[in-house]
Amino acid sequence: MRPIIAIFRKEFKGFLFNPNFLLVCALMATLLSFLYPISLRSFQDQARNAMMFAHNSGGQQLNIHYGVFLKHLSYLNLMLILVVPALTMRLFAEEKKMKTFDLLLTSPITSAQIVIGKYLAALAAIFVIMLLAFLYPLSTAYFAKINWGPLVVAFLGIFLVAAVYAAMSLFCSSLTESAIVAFAMAVLFNISIWFVGVGVEVVDSSTARSVFEHISLNQHLTAMVEGTVRSSTLIFFGSAIFLFGFLSERVIESSRWR
Amino acid sequence: MIEVSQLTKKYGDHVAIDSLNFTVKKGEVVGFLGPNGAGKSTTMKIITGFMAPSSGAAQIAGYDVFENPIEVKRRIGYLPETPPVYLDMNVEEYLSYVAELKGVEKERRLQLVNRAVEKTNLGQVRRRLIHNLSKGFKQRVGIAQALVSDPEVLILDEPTVGLDPKQVAEIRDLIKELRGQHTIILSTHILPEVQATCERIIIIHRGKIVAQDSLANLSALQSGGRKVHLKVRKSAAELGAKLKGIRGIQKVVSGATPQDWELDTESDDEIVETVAREIIAGGYGLLEIGSVKADLEDIFLKLTYGDSSPNGSGQRMEVHA
Repeated sequence: MRPIIAIFRKEFKGFLFNPNFLLVCALMATLLSFLYPISLRSFQDQARNAMMFAHNSGGQQLNIHYGVFLKHLSYLNLMLILVVPALTMRLFAEEKKMKTFDLLLTSPITSAQIVIGKYLAALAAIFVIMLLAFLYPLSTAYFAKINWGPLVVAFLGIFLVAAVYAAMSLFCSSLTESAIVAFAMAVLFNISIWFVGVGVEVVDSSTARSVFEHISLNQHLTAMVEGTVRSSTLIFFGSAIFLFGFLSERVIESSRWR
Repeated sequence: MIEVSQLTKKYGDHVAIDSLNFTVKKGEVVGFLGPNGAGKSTTMKIITGFMAPSSGAAQIAGYDVFENPIEVKRRIGYLPETPPVYLDMNVEEYLSYVAELKGVEKERRLQLVNRAVEKTNLGQVRRRLIHNLSKGFKQRVGIAQALVSDPEVLILDEPTVGLDPKQVAEIRDLIKELRGQHTIILSTHILPEVQATCERIIIIHRGKIVAQDSLANLSALQSGGRKVHLKVRKSAAELGAKLKGIRGIQKVVSGATPQDWELDTESDDEIVETVAREIIAGGYGLLEIGSVKADLEDIFLKLTYGDSSPNGSGQRMEVHA
């Protein structure tokens, strides 16, 4: 346990005190600060219109969760696809390049401890970004009544997706010495999991169809952003993270006998 | 303390090291000597558990490197060829992190960091970012890193590379100081370094041990070897032929200038006398004459590059301590 904490602390500090991380946070905040008021304004317009024509809108309700927060989260997700690989690309690639990997591999720690320590540090860094993004709905609560349950679950959903990104990016980083290659691979991985679900449309057998449905990220995320937590969703995210964590551990371990 | 038996590492068809056998006793300082690419680093990497061998075994303090890597790594401080430093940390932070990784308890950590800083003379830079340090300082941080957990075994891969002569002397003093408390293996291709620091030498060539013994024994083995250096006033080419005619002289080489000559002779003292007499009689104007017993360098060259002097041609020394 102690080595995990040591690695976690070192890497997390490495994120927080790295000017690049702060720069990324600042840029994300700038972009979100630009986009968030726009969706808020358009929601306000829709709401006003709806109120004016409430008698003929057929009782259809506007919801700030769908109109504003989900848009906000989809922007956030888009950024995370690129930002998570940028944060995690150096975790192993740089160690290999700078030969500091030798230090880790000759220390009395296991490969799994190295991977877990680094992965948790990446998660913590992502959590900081999530906190930053959470400030926007939080500030909205100042002048609107918000249903916190679905909002928190939706944020949790995006956090879990980002956790999958982090696991895949960490795996990519373990494969190469070059941070740029790790970054490019990780972005491709992150994008591709959104398209796995497309398989549903091209297979005929019902078993294959349900397999594709189950591994479709969209399917699971849709439920979460709407505020429902299903155990199958948690298992899906958990196993995706475990799979890539395990693969990274194998790659690290292999450098001992290659 | 360290036991290596039949250790072999192959990269595909290339055999990096071939059935190495040696033992190192507790508190001993052993020098690994060999030309570049002889397999020194590979051997060290295997002993530290960084790499697995193709066959054979290595044990440290009774623990097998492959069965029990964690126990082995707890007892080892390792300096790889490139010092494994994080450029974005300062020296103190870095050493404390390494100590933590090596499993040093929190209470002892500061004390051990201070000790390592003191031993490697890093006091003046302890709060500087490693990124901003010179190569020599980085190398010393690397050595400090190996020392910081107070390991029983120190494995140093070319510890003095990149240091200036004063720092080299300091590191040698440090190694001498550590002798007895730690078991040390260091590799180098710089001969004076082993002469200055090691009690025992293992010479590796093309993945095989070609000699292992104490320095004194290795020198004694080179029986009959003597080198004579001469300087004369006149530059005369025929002097070479004349010297060759003297009985007991094996090889005559002209030196840096036409006035300098190097002779390989038998160890007989009389030869020096004869040479001197010859030169004076011939009126060449003897300026300098000096004789040196075969030193480590000769042994090394002979064993690794197969120096073809008549009495040692092609024959390998097999010595076991």
